[in-house]
Amino acid sequence: MLKFARNKLVSAARKDKDTLFIHGVLDDDIYGVEIDLHVRIRDLYFLSIVGKWNRWTTPECPRAIDFLQEAKGFCIDEGIDDRIHKIVGRKACRHFANLLIECCYAAKQAAKVARWEDAKADNQDLSFGEFCGAKTDSEDAAASRESAGKKPPAAQEKPVRISTVRAECEEPQPSGGRLKNRAAGFVIDLHVHTFPASPCSSAPEDRLIEEAKRIGLNGICLTDHNHVWTPAQVKDLSQKHGFLILRGNEITTDQGDMLVFGLESEIKKVIKLQDLRAEVLRTEGFIVAAHPFRGFLTFGAGQLGLTPERAGQRALFQWVDAVEVLNGKVTDDENHLAASVAANLGLPSTGGSDAHDVAEVGHYATRFSTNIRTEADLLAALKGSQYEPVAFRKDNEQVYSPSTLQSAEQ
Amino acid sequence: MSENILKFSMNRCTSVEPLDENTLKSACRLTDTFTTASVEILARLPDLEIVNVSGQFRHEWHELPDPNETLQKVLGIRIGSGMLKIIKGLMGEGENLEQLTYMVEECCHGIILALTKDILSHAPRDEAGKLEFFSNMVRKNIRLYNRCAAFAPGSRLIEGIEPPK
Repeated sequence: MLKFARNKLVSAARKDKDTLFIHGVLDDDIYGVEIDLHVRIRDLYFLSIVGKWNRWTTPECPRAIDFLQEAKGFCIDEGIDDRIHKIVGRKACRHFANLLIECCYAAKQAAKVARWEDAKADNQDLSFGEFCGAKTDSEDAAASRESAGKKPPAAQEKPVRISTVRAECEEPQPSGGRLKNRAAGFVIDLHVHTFPASPCSSAPEDRLIEEAKRIGLNGICLTDHNHVWTPAQVKDLSQKHGFLILRGNEITTDQGDMLVFGLESEIKKVIKLQDLRAEVLRTEGFIVAAHPFRGFLTFGAGQLGLTPERAGQRALFQWVDAVEVLNGKVTDDENHLAASVAANLGLPSTGGSDAHDVAEVGHYATRFSTNIRTEADLLAALKGSQYEPVAFRKDNEQVYSPSTLQSAEQ
Repeated sequence: MSENILKFSMNRCTSVEPLDENTLKSACRLTDTFTTASVEILARLPDLEIVNVSGQFRHEWHELPDPNETLQKVLGIRIGSGMLKIIKGLMGEGENLEQLTYMVEECCHGIILALTKDILSHAPRDEAGKLEFFSNMVRKNIRLYNRCAAFAPGSRLIEGIEPPK
């Protein structure tokens, strides 16, 4: 018996010489939505969009309809899927976004047919295959935009080369912060993202650093996605703010995101974790499994019946040096599962806010038993295992060490 | 030229069924004016690890190599948060691979939605009960906050809930 089915039907008709009408229907076990979209053929520009709910889940889902208008004016270019996910998916509804992406696919194909029909006016023998064989979708759209006198779409951003150089920053004095660090030890937020280095972040580095100082952290580690902070940049930031700034990377692997420290080589794409491990071993770096049990929006690992014992059998834990067991972007249950797995496997545990906003920095962090001055110090400390994750921002700082977790569970 | 004759049409169907207690099969089939394609994955519970994947792809004029070589790249990954980036990264984003990659994503979404359906089936039928049920969902997983219109500021579902810090 089927557990779930989703059907999507999209059709495209040419309403006039320069307009396509796209009608999309998404119907599945949970949702029923429809979209009517008018697209200009010459540049694949959204002229109008109308959405309709047939079935939904929450009493507030109907609010999504109005937000669909934010897609008006979109142009179907290389970045359209990302734009739809970001604007329509996040502001309206991700199921409308899913259907709209299908509508865009249909519009592109239908525009191709429309252009072929136009081209046949001059060459009646021109087959569709011949017409399309010589052109790619993007060439088509670019040619159309050119003829329409429009600026071509910006090229998709290429992955930034990652080269974590182990250059030492000039030693800044730990700030101590304007608020007292309540606990002994040296506390660093090992997982933060800044804007614009991480496009998903809204935290400019200067403001994020000032906030980290204000709350009394001893340092932060910049772990932007696929972004290289140069030693000079970090040195400038450290000196400007009188605060310890260290560097790492959050690298996407086939087994999920990894925080990597001390990696010399360049990682441009999604990489196999085993290959990353080989690279990190070569440079004597350190890998932390970031938020290893980050779950879904409506259900988590617990609801799937994933036990710490079973979860600990995942291959990824063979290839990492430590586990992030306090991450600011996951649920308490997901953090607890990570802590239990780390404890069962005898792997060290770290904490990091995963801050994407200024106010998030230091939510969680890692407390070291020794002072850290340089990236070499950080690596040595990580390998020395004398550290523990802390819920730094909470009034009563709580230590989530594997031992306290186990005793709490008993 | 009749304005009512279609220039293009497509039908994409994704279905999920249990093969046994620990395995879900998700299949996505695409039929459009130019393409006939299918992708099927097997995911093992509770990890939701992709343990098998296969597919076929036929296009009106694009000559494509056997898609199975590309599809095998997603073997071993887990269906979960952040998977789209991983799938795209492993399969590549070449023009002719776009649809194949998308269909793998659809298979994975199908499995997530199948499991989501189980959760949603517990929602009460009355308005007040629904509001409480979905508000609690946000409280339990604050990542839902501002994730879509239903959970954005102004919605009754997040009344009294502090935005994530």
